[in-house]
Amino acid sequence: MSSLTHLQNDFQSFLLRGDAAVEAHVVGTDRVPIATRLGIYGDGYCARLIEALQTNFPVLTQLLGEGDFDTLATAYVRTHESPFFSIRYYGNALADFLAAEADYAGAPVLAELARWEWTMTEVFDAADAMPIGADDLGRVAPAEWADLCFDWHPSVRRLELAWNAPQIWKAVTEDAEIPEVTLHPQPVQWLLWRHELRSYFRSLPSAEALVLEAARAGQPFGELCLLLCAQFGAAEAPARAASFLRDWVGSGLLTAVR
Amino acid sequence: MLTRPSLGFGLGLRVDHYEAILADRPPVDWFEALTENYLVPGGKPLHNLMRVREHYPLVMHGVSMSIGSTAPLDRDYLAQVKALAARVEPEWISDHLCWTGIAGKNMHDLLPLPYTEEALANVVERIRTVQDILGRRILMENVSSYVTFRDSQLTEWEFLREVAERADCLILLDVNNIYVSAVNHEFAALDYLNAIPAERVQQIHLAGHESHGDYLIDTHDHPVPDPVWELYAAAVRRFGTVSTMIERDANIPPLEELCEELAAARAVAERTLARAA
Repeated sequence: MSSLTHLQNDFQSFLLRGDAAVEAHVVGTDRVPIATRLGIYGDGYCARLIEALQTNFPVLTQLLGEGDFDTLATAYVRTHESPFFSIRYYGNALADFLAAEADYAGAPVLAELARWEWTMTEVFDAADAMPIGADDLGRVAPAEWADLCFDWHPSVRRLELAWNAPQIWKAVTEDAEIPEVTLHPQPVQWLLWRHELRSYFRSLPSAEALVLEAARAGQPFGELCLLLCAQFGAAEAPARAASFLRDWVGSGLLTAVR
Repeated sequence: MLTRPSLGFGLGLRVDHYEAILADRPPVDWFEALTENYLVPGGKPLHNLMRVREHYPLVMHGVSMSIGSTAPLDRDYLAQVKALAARVEPEWISDHLCWTGIAGKNMHDLLPLPYTEEALANVVERIRTVQDILGRRILMENVSSYVTFRDSQLTEWEFLREVAERADCLILLDVNNIYVSAVNHEFAALDYLNAIPAERVQQIHLAGHESHGDYLIDTHDHPVPDPVWELYAAAVRRFGTVSTMIERDANIPPLEELCEELAAARAVAERTLARAA
């Protein structure tokens, strides 16, 4: 191992685990001893990642309060190194961490809130794409409808949440009264996306969630109608399908029909 | 000439200021964008960056190149930087003379290098490779540091000079970082300035720091303090007119306040140059 590799190994081990081997590489002074000098880097490492988590999870930070969030963030930083070139992506596993850790698993809404905040950030800076308009649908020949498939905007995300995390998130971001933590009788399906630089979300009725997932998986329009037939009957299914489609196009969710 | 003509006096582009910049078009000659903030697939960050670009020259300033690391260069990262540069058309691209991690991990800090022949050879080869990939000379910035390595054979300024000359790259001189390191390692800041090859200094950063009595921490969250202004005047005497900017990374004040600080930088440079004439 070259001496530079050796030094960088020891330095990084100090930052990640507090290993003392790095001390042999460093010179101190009477005014500022080695421990103080290395401590600036050690403290800085944790502080920077904790600050990144605060930035990436502002609502969770506000809800927990700085002290409790700091405890959470410190535990996360101790167990999660960053492989990311941008600190924007640090915290990708915080929701899983909250769900798995005994200290937090008793309040499962926290994991859902973290998942929600992370997903909203993904929506915020997902790739751009031009949505299609109603005119594009109008140009589809009647014979082509059954085989028609759809391309979705890169920002489209789906979440299934058991708790009212989105309502809590909304109240905190709008500085409104925060609702009681509530467990829904059934998990709620959520759709999140961005249109013209604004982020949107709404809950999905179960029938729409079913066909939307099928459509995102590449099922053609004819198959979507069959799915709806099973739920609403042959008479009502085409109108339902057309209504969903109009709404998806109007919301900027689709970028192409094929 | 190795360097480009001065762009004048600029500011670091910060999210808090987008709205004011686009609405008021403040008297700032150029902006420096933090590269990593825009290495995202799309959305508002890139949209806003391109809107600012319509009205101001931009330079790109990164923190994750890890040019002094012994880990392989992150070619995916460099490809993304290159793609962003193709879109933004920056006047130049800079990063720091430091390392940020090994073994696939990022410490998200600008970690110091030992000033050895081995570290020098490593960093020079990597800068040359990066310059080949990006198709342009890059600027390397001096970082603040808190430790001295036992192995170091060169001073920091000798190391920086050798890097710039051997790799044929340019220099982004952070005057605050020189001051911070001078206090922390008890050297004369002017010795540093006087050793820097003037023909390679393309940009100057001005910033503030935090005093801890016996040492300083480079926080970039305070106004530029008097000793840094004095060192800046010395830099202007030595390097002449160089693109100069205020770099505030935290505790970010309203744009007008930074514009006033930038006006102070302009005044220091004009006064210094007038005296020298």
